[in-house]
Amino acid sequence: MDAAAAGLHGDIHTEERMQLVNFSLDGEEYGVEVLKVREIIRMTDITRVPNTLHYIEGVINLRGKVIPVISLRKKFALDSAESDNRTRIIVMEMTSELTGFIVDSVVEVIRISAGEIQPPPSVIAGSIDQEYLTGVINREDRLMVMLNVERLFSHEER
Amino acid sequence: MSVLCDDQELLDEFLTEATELLEKIDDDLITLEKFPGDMELLNRIFRSIHTVKGAASFLEFELLVKVTHKTEDVLNRLRKGELAPHPAIMDVILDAVTMVKILINDIKGEELKERPIDGIIVRLMAVLAENVVEGAAEIVTGVLVVATPHTAPEQEPVALDLLVTLPESSGTSISDELAPPAAPAGTTKASGEELTDKATVRVDVKRVDDLMNQVGELVLERNRMMQLTSDYQNEINLDAFGEELAKLSKRMNFVTSELQMQILKMRLIPVGNVFKKFPRIVRNMARDLGKMVELQVFGEDTELDRSVVDLISDPLIHLLRNAMDHGVETPQERAVAGKPPTGSVVLSAHHEGNRIIISIKDDGRGIDCERVAAKALEKGLITPDQLSAMSTREILSLIFLPGFSTKDVASDLSGRGVGMDVVRTNIEKLNGVIEIKNEQGQGSEFILQLPLTLAIIQSLLVEVERETYSIPLSAVLETLRVNAGDFHTIAGRKFLQLRDSVLPIVALAETFHVSQETQHKDFCYVVVVAVAEKKIGLMVSRLLGQQEVAIKSLGNYLANVPGIAGSTIMGDGRVALIVDPSKLTGLCEAAKNGLHQAA
Repeated sequence: MDAAAAGLHGDIHTEERMQLVNFSLDGEEYGVEVLKVREIIRMTDITRVPNTLHYIEGVINLRGKVIPVISLRKKFALDSAESDNRTRIIVMEMTSELTGFIVDSVVEVIRISAGEIQPPPSVIAGSIDQEYLTGVINREDRLMVMLNVERLFSHEER
Repeated sequence: MSVLCDDQELLDEFLTEATELLEKIDDDLITLEKFPGDMELLNRIFRSIHTVKGAASFLEFELLVKVTHKTEDVLNRLRKGELAPHPAIMDVILDAVTMVKILINDIKGEELKERPIDGIIVRLMAVLAENVVEGAAEIVTGVLVVATPHTAPEQEPVALDLLVTLPESSGTSISDELAPPAAPAGTTKASGEELTDKATVRVDVKRVDDLMNQVGELVLERNRMMQLTSDYQNEINLDAFGEELAKLSKRMNFVTSELQMQILKMRLIPVGNVFKKFPRIVRNMARDLGKMVELQVFGEDTELDRSVVDLISDPLIHLLRNAMDHGVETPQERAVAGKPPTGSVVLSAHHEGNRIIISIKDDGRGIDCERVAAKALEKGLITPDQLSAMSTREILSLIFLPGFSTKDVASDLSGRGVGMDVVRTNIEKLNGVIEIKNEQGQGSEFILQLPLTLAIIQSLLVEVERETYSIPLSAVLETLRVNAGDFHTIAGRKFLQLRDSVLPIVALAETFHVSQETQHKDFCYVVVVAVAEKKIGLMVSRLLGQQEVAIKSLGNYLANVPGIAGSTIMGDGRVALIVDPSKLTGLCEAAKNGLHQAA
């Protein structure tokens, strides 16, 4: 966890270096830029909001603020899974509004250089749409998909 | 031309001062027209314009200087008694003031635009060139003058002298203000009506002091609480712990409620801020319509939340326009009906519990129910079958339908069938209730009941299967325990016979797609809610009780969830959704149509 702590308090990333929060979803690893992440919380009581898009799980109380929570499994059309004690909600700042994303677990915060990001291959991990991807990162033994958070919510879906 | 002058502080000060001065000036001008001899008033108006001019010239706002300078000249002649303040001159001055407001708004918006000020300058010059005799002659007929530049100048030969010289553009500011209700937001901004600064609140120092006291109390209670906790942990005086805690929570409850009231009060502003612009609207309209109307305003000091104030301005303007246009008759018609020639419109506001009641009452011809019904049929808004089943009250509420108008020809003032729809929409947004009192031939009264604030509401917590929802108590009329067999189903819709009326039912479990419990109960509860002028029943599983809740927005992503107005955080930290009864009536509308067809 040292790496994570160091990462969260790290310098503002330069052109070359950037930090990613690395989380897992249905056995795959994904990354989002650390600067977009406000906090990571444990699973909590979610209030369902009727008549909304299927992947909007509901709303939660984040210290007195009500924020929407999205299931990334549902968003990416993956099989649903029961939440367990590793399940986390990643709270991200999306166009000045906080939004929570449910993921299976948060792995670590890693440092990468921009050069490591390769353009996404045309066919990739399951059914995730190309538009959500910024690229893939090849780390020694594993492949990590970098998500474009802004695109997770396209305008017509709001 | 650069907008921002070097000294931002100076500019801000100028804008604040000018805004304040101009707000007062409209009112003063109207009063001046009524009491032309009031020199003190005239001097005050003169000083205000003079102050604005002085500051504007120092800050080098050329257009503003030109307009204020000429206005000042006219006012100066009035002051010296060389001109009499008759309506034609007042029109020009009022339009000039409107132009000044537009220019100041431009500066505020940090973009200077080329505004067509020549028209108003020419008109001001024309007034300046006018000789004393003509002015004096006109004051005799002035009160009943119907002519304005864009209606019918030929009716009034005296005014013609002055008015024919005007270029086309001179009428723009007037027509701006009387723009059709279709685009209220855009036009009001452009016409400089909305000068009030919305970003800041002025708070009485006393209120801040009171607040400080309350916070002091709260700190004391917190210290007491921490003491109690440490005593408990160190197992000191354990016997008294329960009792002490009960006392403490009682005091905490008291202090926080007080604190909440104080904060709420800070957000309150007098409703007079909205009423202020009405005398001018009434005056201009009366002249355009050739009617004589006296506007009486009561209860300007009644305070309500600024969020509410912002939303009631448009509906009130529409209701006022309606009263003037449809309600009050022309002097001739009034003479025939045996009424005094001057019609009266009374605008009043007062508190009733934690609601505010605003009423607009006129002594005009009232609403002709038969004509309303006939028009609604003609426009295809209802069917004859539906009509035959309607009560007088229901027929009256037809005027709120979008597209409804009794006027055959749309005018600048009304007849587009948009106004009342806007009224209803805004009142619904506020969880308000509209009531119409109507006496044909004697006038009508529109009564608006509005909540004091939108931030904290009293709510009724209900359970729908396993989910908790909160219904604004302001909308709740009554609650009923109903046996499952008492519902009637007509054309697939549920209804309930409630005393002498038929109540459409919305089953929240279905509307919100709540997963149904397998075990079916043989009774449920119905919460009867009023939305503007309608009533519906919401079917729920259980009533949990009444609670004061703070409304939290659901954010942009979830802003438009049908039937949900927002959310609130309950005592246990969970989020409960707040039901928006006004959005649920849409569902009932369809239901009711089904009923009428079946009947």
